[in-house]
Amino acid sequence: MKKKVFIALLILVFCFSGGGFYIVRSIEEVITNLENVITLHQVEFLRKDLWNKIKVVQTDLLLKDSPHALLTDPFIVHVEEMEKAARICQNCHHSEEVLQSLNHFQRQMDGYIKMLSRVYTVRANQARLAEERDTAFSMGEKTLSEVEQIVITSSEKISKRITRARNSIAETERLLYFLITAGPLLLILIAYFFLKQFTTSVDALLDATRKIQQGNLRYRVKEELPDEFQVLGSAINIMASSLTDQCQRMQQAERLAVVGELAAGLAHEVKNPLAGIKVSIEVLANELSLEQEDREVFLRIINEIHRIESLLKSLLSYARPPEPETSPLDLHQLLETSIKSVSYALINPANTARLIKDIEIVKDFSPDVPPVIADRSQLQQVFLNLLLNAIDAIPAKGTITISTRKESNHTVQISIADTGKGMSPENLHKIFNPFFTTKPKGTGLGLAICKRLIELHNGTIHVSSAPGEGTTFYITIPEKLQLQGITP
Amino acid sequence: MPGKSYQNCIILFAACLFFLLLSGCGEQQESKTGDVPVRTPTRTLKLGLIPEHDIFTQKKRYAPLAAYLSRRIDTAIELSVLSRYGNIIDNFVSNGLDAAFFGSFTGALAVRKLQVQPLARPEYPDGTSTYYGMIFVRKDSGIHHAADMRGKRFAFVDQATTAGWLLPLHFFKENGIADYRSFFSETYFTGTHEDAIYDVLRGKADIGAAKNTVFFRLAQSDSKVREQLQILVTSPLVPANALAVRRDLDEALKIKLQNALLQMDQDAEGRQILQEFGARRFIPTTENDYAPVFAYADKIGLDLATYDYINE
Ligand SMILES: Nc1ncnc2c1ncn2[C@@H]1O[C@H](COP(=O)(O)OP(=O)(O)OP(=O)(O)O)[C@@H](O)[C@H]1O
Ligand SMILES: [Mg+2]
Repeated sequence: MKKKVFIALLILVFCFSGGGFYIVRSIEEVITNLENVITLHQVEFLRKDLWNKIKVVQTDLLLKDSPHALLTDPFIVHVEEMEKAARICQNCHHSEEVLQSLNHFQRQMDGYIKMLSRVYTVRANQARLAEERDTAFSMGEKTLSEVEQIVITSSEKISKRITRARNSIAETERLLYFLITAGPLLLILIAYFFLKQFTTSVDALLDATRKIQQGNLRYRVKEELPDEFQVLGSAINIMASSLTDQCQRMQQAERLAVVGELAAGLAHEVKNPLAGIKVSIEVLANELSLEQEDREVFLRIINEIHRIESLLKSLLSYARPPEPETSPLDLHQLLETSIKSVSYALINPANTARLIKDIEIVKDFSPDVPPVIADRSQLQQVFLNLLLNAIDAIPAKGTITISTRKESNHTVQISIADTGKGMSPENLHKIFNPFFTTKPKGTGLGLAICKRLIELHNGTIHVSSAPGEGTTFYITIPEKLQLQGITP
Repeated sequence: MPGKSYQNCIILFAACLFFLLLSGCGEQQESKTGDVPVRTPTRTLKLGLIPEHDIFTQKKRYAPLAAYLSRRIDTAIELSVLSRYGNIIDNFVSNGLDAAFFGSFTGALAVRKLQVQPLARPEYPDGTSTYYGMIFVRKDSGIHHAADMRGKRFAFVDQATTAGWLLPLHFFKENGIADYRSFFSETYFTGTHEDAIYDVLRGKADIGAAKNTVFFRLAQSDSKVREQLQILVTSPLVPANALAVRRDLDEALKIKLQNALLQMDQDAEGRQILQEFGARRFIPTTENDYAPVFAYADKIGLDLATYDYINE
């Protein structure tokens, strides 16, 4: 936009200065033309003047021997004036043709002057005197007729040149009128162009903000806008999507708060009767002499009660996790502990010497991972959940790779990869939702809790997976957790 | 709305540009006052000229010299060209002339009749300050001796010239032509030396008389003069046209005028004017320089004091 404005400004400056120059030039041209016309008139006048002066000399000549004759000196002055008038012509003209005819004229004039002198100085018989005078007079007449000729041809030329000058003046005038109308028109056009760009862009942006304001957070500015408006448009889009995120997060938080309330109340209410039930059942199971079959029923009841208890616990730790209790801890050590814990899960309960699955656990620990400040039990819970899920995903034989890495921005990344069955993309979207599970006895709270706890640590958890190609979870947590009073 | 401020800027800019251009245009009308005020001398000296050349050329020839002298002597000089040599004697008094460049004969006449005082005369580039008269004919005219001239046309210059009148008279006397009027078919006075030469050259007259300086000057620009004309007789040397002033002119002015002329060749401007005039310098001249003219007139039997050249 800046560039466009600059270009428009340049065009305008160019137009104005060009117009200005043109006007000045036109004025100059008109002045030159007028000057030409004046000069032409002047030339015309000079020629007439010369003609008159020759006429005067001729008259002097005729009157020479009459009683009205002048003295010699005034006559000389007349001749001198005539000569001067003739010389003026010589001084002005430049065209070769004119110069030649003028030169011829000048020679004629010189001869005439010589003859005039002669008439005034000679003393002879009447016949010679008369002859001399007649010769001089006829030379004078010839000179006169030549001047007349020049006057006629030149006046023709002059009138032509005057018309030409007039025409050029008129043309200049027309062009000036054109400029006067075209200039503002161009200005209006440029202004219109800019206005239109402004208004359409501003309208589109205004519309977008209005829509978003009305709650349509999914609305995006899709129009192709020029220059800075495009930038503004995408800024609005980014704002809208972050608003959407924010909204979702707030909804989630709200939901969590409700669930937390509910879970806490439920846990509280259910825990005591459940404990009572459990104790009662245990007493009953010990005191009654029961058949092996019946005893197993009791054991199953106790088992189910355990499950209810752990579900309650899970629900509580998801909905209302305690504030992280931070302490410096060695991540590798923590991971080792977690691995050891899950390896118990692999032991076949029927035959403790055999494992239920053939799983190799690979540890790819980076030595430069620093101790982190975090909540030990919460991180452990995360690792356990992820490892258990990995084990669940592996059908019979597979590898779980646990790697750690120090990131550049004071964070640490822990990744847990398995060679299990992987996930379909639609499932991938839902795994962090509470109660999403594909397992018959699963609660669907494992990953939800993981996400919640990692977020409590200001970290992130991501997953990449494809069906049949295994799954990798990436956890990134800051080296040092800074608590900021997070409320569920 | 940013567009508005842009427009304001543009209008301002255009206005500035316009004023700049306008102010640029105005500079051509600077005044052209190169003229230096001319100091106008208080007195006027009237200077007469004889028609040695045609009257217009003569005036032009003397104009620079007159201007120079005018500045030197701090006196305006007005040139007055006379249409006849002899007029200068009459007009010197009647026209109130203060000075004149006299020919040798008019000079001698003026010395005798008007008691004018010669001051200076030019010295030509060849070192001479005198001239002589010549009688000439066309080479193809077949005229070689006085005897051949009978019945021909004679072009004199003026009855007040040495070359154009005294010489022919002397020639006639020597050759026993008692009455030239009946001897020749026509005689007339061209008024100028130039015309006498050209008239013979062009066949308007058969015999002519004129002074050598004009003859050779013309010969320089027109080769026909030398090629087609034959000089038959020459006169003794007489002083070149000298400046003489009336005797009662302010003595200081006389001296100033003479000094100005004599010192002309000592400054560059003077030398330039002298060169154009056709002289090397001016030399002092007195009545004595006219001795050859008096002697010549004597020989012919003219009494200059009583000579009336107009009784034609
Ligand atoms: N490593 C994995 N490979 C394949 N699928 C997985 C993996 N981890 C989790 N899942 C899928 O995500 C679902 C949700 O897991 P989550 O841990 O939240 O619950 P769960 O494991 O089903 O139940 P629980 O954790 O209570 O035993 C699982 O049911 C499973 O389908
Ligand atoms: Mg799980």
